[in-house]
Amino acid sequence: MLYEFSYLAPRSVADLVQALDEHKDDGKFLAGGTDLLPNIRNGLMRPRFVIDGKKVPGADALNGGATEGLSMGPAVSINDLLRSPFVREQYPVLCVCAHELASHQIRNRATVAGNVVNASPCSDMAPALLCLGATALLRSAGGERELAFKDFFTGVKKTALKPGEYLERIVIPAASKGARGSYKKLKRIAGHDLGIVGVLMVRLGDSLRFAVSSAAPTPVLVESVTAKDSPEEAVAKVLAAVSPISDVRGTKEYREHMIGVYVRRLLAEVK
Amino acid sequence: MKDYAGPIELSLRINGETRRVQARPGDSLLRLLRERLGLTGTKCGCENGDCGACTVLVDGAPIKSCMALAVECEGSDILTIEGLRGHPVQKAFAVENGFQCGFCTPGMILNAVALLSAHPEEDEEADREWMQSNICRCTGYEGIRLALASARRSLKD
Ligand code: FES
Ligand code: FES
Repeated sequence: MLYEFSYLAPRSVADLVQALDEHKDDGKFLAGGTDLLPNIRNGLMRPRFVIDGKKVPGADALNGGATEGLSMGPAVSINDLLRSPFVREQYPVLCVCAHELASHQIRNRATVAGNVVNASPCSDMAPALLCLGATALLRSAGGERELAFKDFFTGVKKTALKPGEYLERIVIPAASKGARGSYKKLKRIAGHDLGIVGVLMVRLGDSLRFAVSSAAPTPVLVESVTAKDSPEEAVAKVLAAVSPISDVRGTKEYREHMIGVYVRRLLAEVK
Repeated sequence: MKDYAGPIELSLRINGETRRVQARPGDSLLRLLRERLGLTGTKCGCENGDCGACTVLVDGAPIKSCMALAVECEGSDILTIEGLRGHPVQKAFAVENGFQCGFCTPGMILNAVALLSAHPEEDEEADREWMQSNICRCTGYEGIRLALASARRSLKD
């Protein structure tokens, strides 16, 4: 047994927000479980209620069309995303990042929403959502609100989600369709370790965006680089936006150096 | 709403059979299989999502059973190594020396079965990516690679 807790599986949005509201202090939202369950097992979290958000109708919906953007519920797994022909054609940047996330089996369970709600500095989906200008639809018993992902991450494993609130949908604007990009992630062992540093570059029309993971308390979006900048200027702007630390996976200097290497490579690669 | 406190009776479809079993909400699928149903073919390596020794197929998709709650799997079809009898992948692992100590083997075989149904055609890149979920401390992976190739051939004819 993992730990003594009760399991709630609401079948409607109304029941879900009520359960989250009742268990603001002692409940945890369960999506793919790839972070929550090891955390419970390792004693890092001790919820009294585990609230499974996957059984609400529509939780696994991944919708997109000719004129709309893309909208994803909290149960959409990383592999659901990778398998969607619509996503592959219209939002290839999402696939580029999803592909780098952990290993195939984990991607069958891990969700896009869970990856961003955990708000780990090394989240792989956050860079894509930041660069594509995605918004979060947050719901609680009090109602719903919308928040741009660039305002969503507030610190290491901290987000703007309030107690009792959950990420109901991730919405990617139609304007970001066709954005091209590439993600470079440095890691020690493929599929079995957290990233040391990651840089995503996205090009949409004339505008350039970079997002960096594992180099600051939150994933970082850099919008100041322009097509006219030299590679050196671009590297300087990206480095000015991050604040990497030294830890068991690498030193601050190594991370900064590799961010520079990746920014130069990406500028040459993403045309 | 389903509300499971204390011990509960779950009904799960395992290897084509419906099994009713006493469990607790906190039981992982892995613990339930091994400790409550005696299906010890599914191995417990790290219980942390890293090694893949606990791999089972849930509705055809390979997942790490240490990272899923048994209650979440109600209504799904679960396949464990006990559900395979003389499957071509098993034979290929034996013939090509796809294992030594055998601890990783049930997980490897189930992951390989799912791989070969998703990618029936030869695809080294897909194989490598897919099998990264499972770690083997013994074989150096060469025997496993050969076993995959030979199982693919025999599944085709
Ligand atoms: S025991 Fe589940 S991944 Fe190691
Ligand atoms: S055969 Fe021993 S771990 Fe793979």
